[in-house]
Amino acid sequence: MDNDVFYKVSVIFKDVFNDQNLEIAPEMTAADIEEWDSLNHINLIIAHEIEFGVRFTSFEISNLKDIGQFVELLESKIQK
Amino acid sequence: MLFNSYIFVFLFLPIVLLVFALVGKFWHYKAAISWLVISSLFFYGWWNPSYLGLILFSIIFNYAVGVALLGKRKKALLLFGIAGNILLLGYFKYANFFLDNVNYVLGNSMVLEEIILPLAISFFTFQQITYLVDAFNGETREYSFLYYCLFVLFFPQLIAGPIVHHKEMMPQFESGIIYKLKSSNLIIGISIFFIGLFKKTVFADTLAIYATSVFTASEIGIELTFFESWVGAIAYTFQLYFDFSGYSDMAIGIARMFGIILPINFFSPYKANNIADFWRRWHITLSNFIKEYLYYPINLTMTRYAVVNNTNPIIKFIITIIIPMTFVWFLTGLWHGAGWTFILWGLIHGMYLIIFQLWTDIRSYFRWSRDEPTFFGIATSRIVTFTAVIVSFVMFRSESINGAMSMYHSMFGFSGISLPMSFEAKLSVLGEIPEMIGIVYNGMFYNGVLTANPNNIIILLFIMLIIVWFSPNVTEWFRFEKPALRIDGLLKKGGLYWRRNTGFALITIFIASTALMFIQRESEFLYFQF
Repeated sequence: MDNDVFYKVSVIFKDVFNDQNLEIAPEMTAADIEEWDSLNHINLIIAHEIEFGVRFTSFEISNLKDIGQFVELLESKIQK
Repeated sequence: MLFNSYIFVFLFLPIVLLVFALVGKFWHYKAAISWLVISSLFFYGWWNPSYLGLILFSIIFNYAVGVALLGKRKKALLLFGIAGNILLLGYFKYANFFLDNVNYVLGNSMVLEEIILPLAISFFTFQQITYLVDAFNGETREYSFLYYCLFVLFFPQLIAGPIVHHKEMMPQFESGIIYKLKSSNLIIGISIFFIGLFKKTVFADTLAIYATSVFTASEIGIELTFFESWVGAIAYTFQLYFDFSGYSDMAIGIARMFGIILPINFFSPYKANNIADFWRRWHITLSNFIKEYLYYPINLTMTRYAVVNNTNPIIKFIITIIIPMTFVWFLTGLWHGAGWTFILWGLIHGMYLIIFQLWTDIRSYFRWSRDEPTFFGIATSRIVTFTAVIVSFVMFRSESINGAMSMYHSMFGFSGISLPMSFEAKLSVLGEIPEMIGIVYNGMFYNGVLTANPNNIIILLFIMLIIVWFSPNVTEWFRFEKPALRIDGLLKKGGLYWRRNTGFALITIFIASTALMFIQRESEFLYFQF
């Protein structure tokens, strides 16, 4: 996992959840962040699309297990 | 065939299970699967054999499209497959309703023969749409037609869910384990089944008596008292939960006897602390379907548009929250039934969720307390959420919008509030105030709509409340027995749990015999009509 990408992701999380104290880890899931509901999930995805210039499909985003898997998906898109 | 019938419990289920195990053990697994498919067709055809052709057509159509999609990933083919399913559902479920509305608007009187709703069509249509999408995305692989038939027809979950995914069922059907009866699966399956049966025959069918009398009275124009209307609405809210979650428990229990684990469908919905939380606990497999196949695609597009065009917050709220929510919940309401009461019920929930989101945004904007919620805070949000749910189910249950409106009239106090006569003396200290706000003293239930002793009804509802708010649910009881799929992250540590010991065996025997004794008033499950 690219540290630089992970750092940028963690900044986006702080931004979307409007919480500067939020620290994320690869094994964290939506259950660990109270505000992470289906709506914020979309906001989160779009924020990453803008930041990294990538695009997700609704299918990809409904089958994510944890933050680690999301970052992997993101990295695979950046490399393309 | 109904799960809550003697013929199912004492004949159909034991025979199907026994033959399945014997054939699987001494003959060939394919023969065992075939037996299960044939039994499921028999189970389905028991009500009305005339729709067997329809369900078989649907299976063949979707299997063919699915296999083609697995071979070649063509979007046009996926859309064709989905359209085929929607058209089938549209004709059999909505043609009459659609024509009624067209006639009403145009003042015509076109007549279409009354189409009888094919049982389970809403469920098997959705389940097969998920298969097509999964096939398109390469999320599953090809299995034989026989397995596919079982995926759609498997009798425990055929009629009213849980809605299962192809990719979570097929590996289970294929694994050799299920062909050997295991005592642990039998014990767990039987225990869960009878808890579900108990919920249905003892709780739901008892509550139905009170709910039905109140809603029927409202429908024929009797002006209900404040307390009568609330008793009816609350009784129905409990009835629906015990009916449908009982059905899901039974489905999970029966499947478990065959060694198959189904996804979770209910997780104490009335313990929800907000309305979004409610939908993560109520009819979970449907909520997931709506989220993944309707809400995400729409909202992803809308949010992308709003962010790229940098719209102002109000416009953003309208196009990313209000429009998608209204659309999605209109359809969710319609899925439940071809009628305006169901559509309005869906829209009420859409409105609840919009209000909830607005509240969440306001809280987040002002950074209001991120501290651990207090006991008072939790209690308040739970009561508010539960009340909102009760109010919504009045629309869901009513046969007409007028019936629902007259219920609301009484529930919101527009018919005045009538207290027990003995209160007149007690409240006299308040002077004129009670009279000014419309309080009279004719007794809480003076219409006599509720035939039983009102005190007993209130005690019953109170017991129900204690159970849904404070008792662990089935998944929690069986936490160490892998009771269902998709339960990661749901179970908190600690709490009571079920054990394979004499004590729990005795409890199960008590639950089973009570549930069976109450079976005599055989009644359909509410969700069969959807």
